[in-house]
Amino acid sequence: MKFVYTATVAALAVAAASAWPQSAAPTDPQIAAIVVTANQVDIDAGKLAKSKSAATDVKEFAQRMITDHSGVNKSATELVHKLHVKPESNATSQSLQQGGEQNIAALKKLTDGAFDRAYIDHEIAYHQSVIEALDKTLIPSAQNAELKALLVKVRPAFVAHLEHAKQLQASLGKTPE
Amino acid sequence: MIRYSRIGRCQRMGWVYARVLVGLLLTSGVVSVMADTNAAPKTHVVTIENMRFSPDALTVQRGDRVVWINKDLFAHTATAVSKAFDSHNIEPNASWTYVAGKPGEYDYVCALHPTMKARLTVL
Repeated sequence: MKFVYTATVAALAVAAASAWPQSAAPTDPQIAAIVVTANQVDIDAGKLAKSKSAATDVKEFAQRMITDHSGVNKSATELVHKLHVKPESNATSQSLQQGGEQNIAALKKLTDGAFDRAYIDHEIAYHQSVIEALDKTLIPSAQNAELKALLVKVRPAFVAHLEHAKQLQASLGKTPE
Repeated sequence: MIRYSRIGRCQRMGWVYARVLVGLLLTSGVVSVMADTNAAPKTHVVTIENMRFSPDALTVQRGDRVVWINKDLFAHTATAVSKAFDSHNIEPNASWTYVAGKPGEYDYVCALHPTMKARLTVL
């Protein structure tokens, strides 16, 4: 199912890798747009999984993603308002958006165990990429101290989600087709 | 006569004050003695932040209050694996208080985030 998450992951990989040379590091308004889009993409995938999956633990995980990423976005939105930062769409946020839409389109074609596995596989790749982007690009590039602090504060949530998704992946692997 | 009577009134008032003072001292003395011998319940705080319980191991006396304060951006719970206690959702910036009951070692988790684990020991 690699093709499912290629686009989202590629977008985050762009954010994470040296594609941002020192001079072209994302600005705070760009970081704000990347953060909000990244969360929204995962909320949307969660909503689909919650309605489509038949597995209780996958549905619960999906609800967790919806709640937690909505919480992060609420804080991020409040902060950018307070700082008078206007999120600025950019190549990374746009390709995140596109990747998210492609993921959902691909997931919609799947059912049952195949859907669950593809969703969880994507969640693992997605969270890994976000953590990498946070560490390599977003946190080091953030200029405003409060924005930087927010990014640092949300990181453990992405790590916990990744662990949770890996646990689910292992348990789904045991489930017969 | 009038003068003496006034003095007498002053003396009586003085006794009243003295008795009140002694009474207060006794009362506070009694309170402190009770605190020493009976170990008044304490309040312990567990902060939930960055997807962790801090401290992740806490030992309390039976009857102590444990307050979980959620400083994360989304809800968490403090749920004993044995179901001895369950906060249900603690929203961001909210808290939940549990009065420690039966002695024992209680492993607990966030029911929403299974990677979050901690232990409460009640003596």
